[in-house]
Amino acid sequence: MKGWTGKYLRINLSNKQIKKEEYDVEFAHKWVGGRGFAIKILWDELKAGIDPLGPENKLIVALGTLSGLTAPMSAKAVVAAKSPLTGGYGDGNIGSKAAMQLRKAGYDYLIIEGKAEKPTLLYIEDDKVELLPAEEVWGKGTYETLEILYKRYSKKVGILTIGQAGENKALYAVVRAMEGRAGGRPGMGAVMGSKNLKAIIVKGTNKEFSLADSDGLKKIGLEGLKGIRDLDKKVGWSKQGSPEILAWCNEVAALPVRNMRKTSSKDAWKIDGERLEAARVATYGCPNCSMHCGHAILDKEGHISELDYESVGMLGSNLEIFDRAQVASLNYLCDDYGIDTISAGAVLAFYADAIEQGLIQGDFKFGQAEKAKELLRKIAYREKEGDLLAQGTKKMAEKIGQGSMDFAMQVKGLEISAYNCKFIPGMALGFGTCSIGAHHKEAWIITYEIKESSRDSYGRDKAQKVIELQRIRGGLFEVLGVCRYPWIEIGWGIEHYPLYFNKATGLNWELKDFDRLADRIYALIRAFWVREIPDWNREYDIVPKIWFDPKNADTEGPIAGKVLEFDKYNQLLDHYYDIRCWDKKGIPTKQTMKELDLEKEAVELEDYVSLE
Amino acid sequence: MKIKLKIFGYLIYQFGFREKEVTIPHSFTVGELLPFINLKKQSPMIITRNGKKIDSDDKIEDGDRIVVAPFFSGG
Repeated sequence: MKGWTGKYLRINLSNKQIKKEEYDVEFAHKWVGGRGFAIKILWDELKAGIDPLGPENKLIVALGTLSGLTAPMSAKAVVAAKSPLTGGYGDGNIGSKAAMQLRKAGYDYLIIEGKAEKPTLLYIEDDKVELLPAEEVWGKGTYETLEILYKRYSKKVGILTIGQAGENKALYAVVRAMEGRAGGRPGMGAVMGSKNLKAIIVKGTNKEFSLADSDGLKKIGLEGLKGIRDLDKKVGWSKQGSPEILAWCNEVAALPVRNMRKTSSKDAWKIDGERLEAARVATYGCPNCSMHCGHAILDKEGHISELDYESVGMLGSNLEIFDRAQVASLNYLCDDYGIDTISAGAVLAFYADAIEQGLIQGDFKFGQAEKAKELLRKIAYREKEGDLLAQGTKKMAEKIGQGSMDFAMQVKGLEISAYNCKFIPGMALGFGTCSIGAHHKEAWIITYEIKESSRDSYGRDKAQKVIELQRIRGGLFEVLGVCRYPWIEIGWGIEHYPLYFNKATGLNWELKDFDRLADRIYALIRAFWVREIPDWNREYDIVPKIWFDPKNADTEGPIAGKVLEFDKYNQLLDHYYDIRCWDKKGIPTKQTMKELDLEKEAVELEDYVSLE
Repeated sequence: MKIKLKIFGYLIYQFGFREKEVTIPHSFTVGELLPFINLKKQSPMIITRNGKKIDSDDKIEDGDRIVVAPFFSGG
């Protein structure tokens, strides 16, 4: 089998059994890697209804087919499990040395089961796989943990770790890697913490991989890295990086401000791309990347804090904190505690909003950066009000009641990222139908809506566009283990990626083959959700009520008086289901699953729900 | 004719400014405006007029606010 090692590790933390196992070529060709492997394994190996923070949950760390190879931005690994935040399928991808080292160590994925009796490190060095005590680092933040482990094992190793938030099972605790890298928004860090697993350390020495055309891949891979670097130099994307989006979102009234009640702010310029560029002290990037996106500034306490647009939007404008050093402080604390910055920003904003509405007692207002820092600490330790905040906006709203669910900015329990879709129907659909809950990573459609269509359209073309983007962003990139940034931001053609894949594997895939795989993955992820949620229906694909409320419309600006229309959103959702050949509840039909080679899974799903 | 031109993202490095009022001799189409302001269309961009999309053949009018931004795909 070229391109894949065919090998994986099964680690049982309860009985400390470590097994080296193999998978076959059919599995490789059907699911390819990364998210594809993760969903199939979780579907097969998890029983419905298990406690996501219990020993029966499994953490999957899965490389993409290109992870660790000579291809542009090929340092991604997917971390996946049943999500403690949403109760459904959860995953994230992280760029790090861990992906590179795991490739060299010779394993395509890890299945981590059970629960260790004591805090544990998982150490992988080629054939040597050990469970070691983690007392020295348990209780420490991710930055200190990384420092200690690098000293112990060398700076060359790859490390995936958690902070106090993961140890204490805050539901949106993430997995952290080098510098400011983080992933696994739906609580993958909490899953690690629930298993008493503090870190995974990987070192690999193998440099020869079994590829179909190693020299061929190296040639076009290096051309890709150089081509992207040259394009980036030409256009200057890396100068501001992703924070360049903030000023534009402010302009087009899509900025998250004040728990997304407002869409712009006259103070937004204080934390925009240019202001951050001017304060930059360091630039970080993943291995095998030629357009580094990790722009870091000094925070209020003097730490180097690596920022990206989402963090600035959610911890800055969404909280009406327009002091860039303070935003950097909140970002740094999230990274150190191992908390997802998007959910943290949404939770704090919801908390301030609920207090302001008089629905809950509390001492926190928009703009209070110092109090926000203290609340992040309480979330990480699940102390006092932090215990409620650590559960995410959906569970908070369920407890607070009094109509607060209307402005809990989440879908399926995962907090909405930094795009205020009060009047952006297609993007709202993107959030509504993202496979893990509200995340823009699968379909970002705002440019299309403004450029090709129009904001007030709910046309079928928008649903089609969301699916096209999900196929590439939620499918192709997630199974290949490469970063999507070169594609739109720099203009590196998507047609390159099947070429890299074919050189590695000897297959002859085209984009349409990846589309079909993506449709299969989306159907199985949806099946996983439906299996977990007995009363599944389309309401889980609907965005928060406040976006439909005319009383919440902007009173001035480009979208004054406008909000989403509920009936029209539902029509758009119907188009989405129709194009995907899912039923009106958003469940794949029997025929669709058969056509996607999911016949066996369809039979299994019918134990839980009858399929149309 | 005077128009307000606002530029976003990395395009400011090509244009050399963020925002300015530009005098154009007569009603240009978008397609004619770009070379007039020395923008070589080397990267994909989204151009709006007064908040709404505008195509290459559309004419610009006196007092228009033209916004030019690169393509984004999210953070």
